[in-house]
Amino acid sequence: MVLRRAGTPDDLDTASGEPCAEPVLSVRGLRHEYPVRAGAPKVAVDDMTFDVARGEFMCVVGPSGAGKTTLLRCLAGLTAPSRGEVLLDGRPLRGASERVGVVFQDYSRSLLPWMSVERNIALPLRVRRVSAAEQRRTVREMLALVGLDGVEGQYPWQLSGGMQQRVAIARALAYRPELLFMDEPYASVDAQTRGELEDVIQDIHQRLGVTVFFVTHDIDEAVYLADRVIVLSRSPAVIREVVAVELPRPRTQLETKAAPAFVALRKEVFGLITGVT
Amino acid sequence: MTMPTMRSRTAIADSAPRRWPAVLPLLGRALAGLWLFALLVVLWWVLSAGSTSPYFPPLSTIVSELGKLWVFHDVRVDLVPSLEHLAVGYVLAGVIAIAIATLFWRVRTARDSLSPLVYFLYVLPAPALLPAFIVLFGIGGSMKIAIIGFAALWPVLFNAIDGMQSIDPVKLDTARSLGMSHRQTLRWVVLPGAAPQIAAGLRNSLQVAILLMVVSEMVASTSGIGYFILNAQQSFESVDMWTGIIVLGIVGSALNFIFVAAERVVLRWYYGERALQTT
Amino acid sequence: MSAVSAPRRVPRRLRAPALRSGLSGIGGVLVVLAIWQALSAAGTLPADSFPSMWSVVKAVVSDLGTASGWRSIGSTMAGWASGFAIGAVAAVLVGMGIGLSAFAFRSTILVIEFMKTIPVIAILPLAMLEFGGTLKMEYTIVAFGVFWPLVIQVVYGVRAMDPVVRDTAEALRVTGLRRFALIVVPSAAPFIATGLRIAAGVALILTIIAELIGGAAGLGRDMLVAEDSGTSALARLYALIVITGLLGIVISIAFRAAERRFLRWHERFRTIEGTVA
Repeated sequence: MVLRRAGTPDDLDTASGEPCAEPVLSVRGLRHEYPVRAGAPKVAVDDMTFDVARGEFMCVVGPSGAGKTTLLRCLAGLTAPSRGEVLLDGRPLRGASERVGVVFQDYSRSLLPWMSVERNIALPLRVRRVSAAEQRRTVREMLALVGLDGVEGQYPWQLSGGMQQRVAIARALAYRPELLFMDEPYASVDAQTRGELEDVIQDIHQRLGVTVFFVTHDIDEAVYLADRVIVLSRSPAVIREVVAVELPRPRTQLETKAAPAFVALRKEVFGLITGVT
Repeated sequence: MTMPTMRSRTAIADSAPRRWPAVLPLLGRALAGLWLFALLVVLWWVLSAGSTSPYFPPLSTIVSELGKLWVFHDVRVDLVPSLEHLAVGYVLAGVIAIAIATLFWRVRTARDSLSPLVYFLYVLPAPALLPAFIVLFGIGGSMKIAIIGFAALWPVLFNAIDGMQSIDPVKLDTARSLGMSHRQTLRWVVLPGAAPQIAAGLRNSLQVAILLMVVSEMVASTSGIGYFILNAQQSFESVDMWTGIIVLGIVGSALNFIFVAAERVVLRWYYGERALQTT
Repeated sequence: MSAVSAPRRVPRRLRAPALRSGLSGIGGVLVVLAIWQALSAAGTLPADSFPSMWSVVKAVVSDLGTASGWRSIGSTMAGWASGFAIGAVAAVLVGMGIGLSAFAFRSTILVIEFMKTIPVIAILPLAMLEFGGTLKMEYTIVAFGVFWPLVIQVVYGVRAMDPVVRDTAEALRVTGLRRFALIVVPSAAPFIATGLRIAAGVALILTIIAELIGGAAGLGRDMLVAEDSGTSALARLYALIVITGLLGIVISIAFRAAERRFLRWHERFRTIEGTVA
């Protein structure tokens, strides 16, 4: 059982978003605003500065409409921020990157209904001109990774919500990105399935060592999954606090969520969000 | 309200003799749909039996003339050339329309600047162009193909542009995050996504194309099924005219049936998804 | 059997202001007209079969300045309006009746679907035999052509009631005439509205055909006359085409505006500004 601490190298201030050596993702002064019909543009996120260490599981939590999704889109290269910079392994991010995978909240709209599960997952591989045999192998490997077997031939809309989101995760991981962005991925599934899917991503994180940047509005989920939790303020969102989560891994739904340390952390984050100390 | 009925129907089917489990409800549905059809045909036959009216000759006479005229002779002379013009014009229109729509998707200024013109030509009743086309192309086969193609182009183009514009932005974001180029996005996301609406445009186009096929033969032609019907009318050969009308009706519905069947196969995923959504 | 066009929710992305695309559209039209004129002047477009842009413009203006020009427009509109009214009223009444009765639906649907696929043009000679080149022939053809597709649209509109709406009405014990007026009609309204808009276009096509071939008074017949008159009336022929096209646009805009007005409550037309924050 490995005790995971916030940030990995030794010369690191453990408590907050202080810069650490060789972060995989560096954000400096990120600000994004968008024009509205009348008046000054609306600022979604402002003055975002933090690092994400390699292999870290970083969660972002905040009140609804705070700008969490905007932040994720800027970091994943889907939206160019109004100001500030995003560095992937020290190099500025320009648009969608090979090394980044994205899982969207609305899996039913993200998965292509005219392709089978196999072809959906193989899609990024076809884009990269991988051989057909290699594609098939990778698809099977990915499905095993997310705990789905034998559904290759089915269409996404024939599967349940939880299964569809697993397919979406499998697709995002198919080309082995270093960084996985997840935008409130479990918001559209029922509570029970959510628990299962949380453990799926935890398992993947442990096995592959992929860095995960996970946006959610569910505080329990954020504390359960994260190494560190970024708490956002109300809109325009700024970083209120970065909370380190030093719970032992692997974590379980039953035990971890009942542990006193978990309850305390949850209370702390909840207090930060609602403004009640 | 529908769910309980379905359950009870299967319950009945389960208790029925083992020989006919699946056939029975299907047969029942077919019968329910066809009785009116059969009744109307019979009524027509009976009511027109002794008719001496020039406009509504006896159905029995029409049917026998139909066999004599069409099945053995006129099909080759009149119907096949008409259908050839239709096929060429329709297919050309579809291909060109999708090509133009693709261009419009890539080049935004082209779409913005030419949309009003496309709209004007889409809304313009195609038969209005017939006299102009006659002046331009004469009265041969090329004129017919030209006007059928011209008329069939706009519904497909209009629907293709609209369909490609309306692709779910989540899918486009997905395509970008997966690293797809413009061409790949077009091929795997935009065109399949727009396919249901393009199909609707093609269905509309088919009706317009059939219409123009007949109209172009009625206005300036000496052959074709349109000419045949009009000529029969002008010569007061009402039996011949009616055979033409019936053949045209059959051809129209047959083409439509083929189209719908093909659509169900090609857009299997779309109908499958929709069926699950309504439960 | 056939897929009926139901109102579709269209997601539109907020992009550059509409003004830019509007100006672009006007620019496009002007450029095409200029090219037309240039080609005519250069002789690339043979003058005896393709009139110059400017001569067509002049012909349009002069035609709209004469009483006979407007009389033709009036005849066409009369044929269109009377045929459309008869066909639409019949289709809505019959369609509602069929839609509300399961037995009627199952019995008649095959017949109606079959009749819809018969090209209306087939009975044009029959109508010409009976009524000659008159208004009566015109509106018979138009009504016949409008009726079949519209009745199908109405039937499916009535039957496509959202099951949640239907169950709510039943739970609230809304029955009989009140149910018809408050639940059934508004549910079917979007389908009927789309059907009417499409039928309006179909009616115009049939009106022109009835005049072109059947010889009823109106723009279609004028076109035939102009065509027979040879090259001197060529500009007039094209002017009539333009006028017919403008008529089509006017009808289309009018129906879309009416749709927006009467279906303001429908999701399709709801804007973010219209919802309470």
